Amino acid sequence: MSINTGIGISKNRDALQAAGEAIHQARMNLLSDKIDLALVFTSNDLAHSTVLKTIRNSLPEETPICGAASLAIITNEEEVLKHGMIVVLFSFPETIYFNPAFIENISMKTPFSAGEELGDKLSFGFKNIRRDFGVIFSDGLIRDASAFLSGLQGKLGSSFPLAGGCASDNLKLHKTYIYYDNSMPSDSACGLIFGGKLNFGIGIKHGWKPLGKMRLITNSNANVVYEIDNQPAAKIYEEYFSLNLNQLRKELKRISILYPIGIFLEGEDEYLLRNLLAIDESGALIFQGSVPQESSIRLMIGSKESCLDATRQAAEEVKKIFLGRNINFVLIFNSASRYTLLRREAEKEVHIIKEVLGKNTPVAGFYTFGEQAPLKSINYQGKSYFHNQSITILGIGD
Amino acid sequence: MLTITIFCFSGLVIVAILLVYKMERIREQKSFIDKLKKSLDEMDEQAKLIVRTDMELNKAQEELDKKIRSLFALQGLSRAMMTSLEENQIFRMLTAEHLQELGFENVAAFLWNSKERKFDSHINIGYSDEEIEPIKSYLEENKEKYLNLIKSNKTISSISQTGEGGFEEKIPVIFKVTHFIISSVSPKEGDSGFLFVGTNDTDTAINEGDEELITILANQLAQALENARLFDKTWKAQQSLEEKVTERTHELTSALKELQIVSRRKNDFISSVSHELRTPLTSIKGYAAILLAGKLGDLPPEIRQRLDKINKHSDELVHMVNDLLDIARIESGRQLMKKEELNLKQIAEKIGDLLGVQMKDKDIAFTINISGEACSVSADRQQIERVFINIIGNAIKFTPKNGKIAVSCQEYKDGIQIDISDTGYGIPENALEGIFEEFYRVDNPINDEVKGTGLGLALVKHIVEAHGGKIWVKSKLGSGSTFSLTLPRTG
Repeated sequence: MSINTGIGISKNRDALQAAGEAIHQARMNLLSDKIDLALVFTSNDLAHSTVLKTIRNSLPEETPICGAASLAIITNEEEVLKHGMIVVLFSFPETIYFNPAFIENISMKTPFSAGEELGDKLSFGFKNIRRDFGVIFSDGLIRDASAFLSGLQGKLGSSFPLAGGCASDNLKLHKTYIYYDNSMPSDSACGLIFGGKLNFGIGIKHGWKPLGKMRLITNSNANVVYEIDNQPAAKIYEEYFSLNLNQLRKELKRISILYPIGIFLEGEDEYLLRNLLAIDESGALIFQGSVPQESSIRLMIGSKESCLDATRQAAEEVKKIFLGRNINFVLIFNSASRYTLLRREAEKEVHIIKEVLGKNTPVAGFYTFGEQAPLKSINYQGKSYFHNQSITILGIGD
Repeated sequence: MLTITIFCFSGLVIVAILLVYKMERIREQKSFIDKLKKSLDEMDEQAKLIVRTDMELNKAQEELDKKIRSLFALQGLSRAMMTSLEENQIFRMLTAEHLQELGFENVAAFLWNSKERKFDSHINIGYSDEEIEPIKSYLEENKEKYLNLIKSNKTISSISQTGEGGFEEKIPVIFKVTHFIISSVSPKEGDSGFLFVGTNDTDTAINEGDEELITILANQLAQALENARLFDKTWKAQQSLEEKVTERTHELTSALKELQIVSRRKNDFISSVSHELRTPLTSIKGYAAILLAGKLGDLPPEIRQRLDKINKHSDELVHMVNDLLDIARIESGRQLMKKEELNLKQIAEKIGDLLGVQMKDKDIAFTINISGEACSVSADRQQIERVFINIIGNAIKFTPKNGKIAVSCQEYKDGIQIDISDTGYGIPENALEGIFEEFYRVDNPINDEVKGTGLGLALVKHIVEAHGGKIWVKSKLGSGSTFSLTLPRTG
């Protein structure tokens, strides 16, 4: 027996009807009565508690549900839906093990301790079984997503492969939701740890290119950068864009998406991107994800072409890992920034992935406020990092 | 000692040379580093230019994308609105999806209800029922300002507030939005109003292009309302017309039925009166004949003269009574047409012979232009002969001496047409319509001289129509007349 998946998609604007349609379709498409896991991704307008209740009521009581609400969702039909939902049902062979876990009220803890708590819960069922990889769905507005990831790694091992993404809203950064069982909480995270007889491959790329001089972070703390080259951090943006602080703040969303900073990584093909979230009064820059002191950075620039090229490279990475073996399911964590940049061409990414990994390979995904995936270079020993602007592709096979 | 000194000196010279060489190398490297640094700085400056240009390009691209999306949405909306012919349906076409494409999340459309003197909400997206109530109350309090805005046919927005009304500042607070556009919706007929669109998206400020788009949308909304109202009006008018036609048809049917009853009664009356008249007339004629035959003794010439008149007038009266009875019979359908194959040439010749004496008296030339067997129909011989007698008789009566009377016949697909023309006095135009009516007599000197019942042509018309044919006349005063009649071939 191999991994079976059943996918249901609905474009219905009524949340209740959409949930009914999607779960019905997914059950029809699953070639098994045994339902082990359900993944649910919805657009934000369908983020409603009735959606989860409808899905919950249509599934066996013991079937865990994980997922997230997002700016838009990626479907198996090579579509990107701004209004819609996708439900993926899994039926695993007995030789595959997994354990779901959930934590809430992250803001009441430190991001690191919240990560540790989730790590503890995830590893709980895996005492005597080899853990292969983990999948994380977390709130998109966690203060320091890198510290959260470090907390997870503290419990799961620093080189433990993790692929994941943070839920997103319509770029307002107001509130994001994850799905777990029959609840739809904010300020929470859930995850799954897999082990047993299965294969996996993770590909991650962004496509942004460095521009201008290399600069040095001379003063920073977590995700706040105070000084670059011993100058107030904001000066780098002021100089590049010839804008003062107020003008920069007005253009923040555009700058954040199009011109992030890239942290130089020894031996890696690409820089590690960081989105600019805010500029404080003193000129300190607040990024989505930590920027270590003494790291070398450059301003980055991206285009639709480089973005789509990166998608192909990420898919090729997954394909290379599988060495021709069957891929049963592909999960995509795609940055909301990429959606904003690509706009009408967003569906091209799904098309490229299907082209590389097989037209019949089941695919699902959502748009994120940050992605988690391991770096490839030997220097980093497979350690997972928090990324921005990237597309993370996780392939699962048996 | 000297050797040592020389050695030391040589060493010093070598060190000095090496030092100079090293210093030169350092200087060269420094120069190279400086060049590199300069190149880097220059490259950084170029990077700045690239970034700034790239951002401008991206902005332009975004603006263009937004415009294209908006235009698509506007086109879709316009098409949908223009195909709707019901007012509320037109407003329902404004969906959240279209609005989102136009860059707005909130929309409200109000029309001024001139009867109840208040603003009616026709659509609201992005507001709950509870949220729309305070907006309505606000409009009620400020109705004059909004009515002036509608009257002026203007568009106001958060970027182009005129300040004239002094109420625009409150709009974002009342409608709970950051940016807004309000454009008047003024159809040519009926109640006018305004369209409000708003957004809370602080990142995408509205611009003049958005104002233009919403003004176009409001104008198209007005146009669609105008069309719907016009359609409604036309529809109602048509309905009313149809009702009137039905009513009038009903009235006419009733009137026709009454008329038929009256006509039948008239016929019955004429029949019975004619029958009653015929008996005494026969007696009068009989007695007059006995007296004139001298069976009761010779009569003085004065009495004979009077009896001749009685006899002559009795004949006319019998003739009139017979005509009346025939008309009544044909009208009521009691007179059955005994159809047989008739050769119209032969009939024309027979009638020509019959009336030959009268024509000869007036030297009238009578010609028949019918060739051989050409014109034959199935009809009642006796009745058709009466038709010819009446028409040719009339022609003789109204044609002066040395005139001409001609009979011709032509065939057409389903029957034949007979034309009887004369060179008589003709019929005045105003009399053409009436000559086939009973007792109608044309007002002319001939009629004053020549006696007639006014029933001949009425009888002719009834006979022709009883055969399924038609009769009409063409005439010009002083140039003669042509009576034409058709008879279907099958009868």
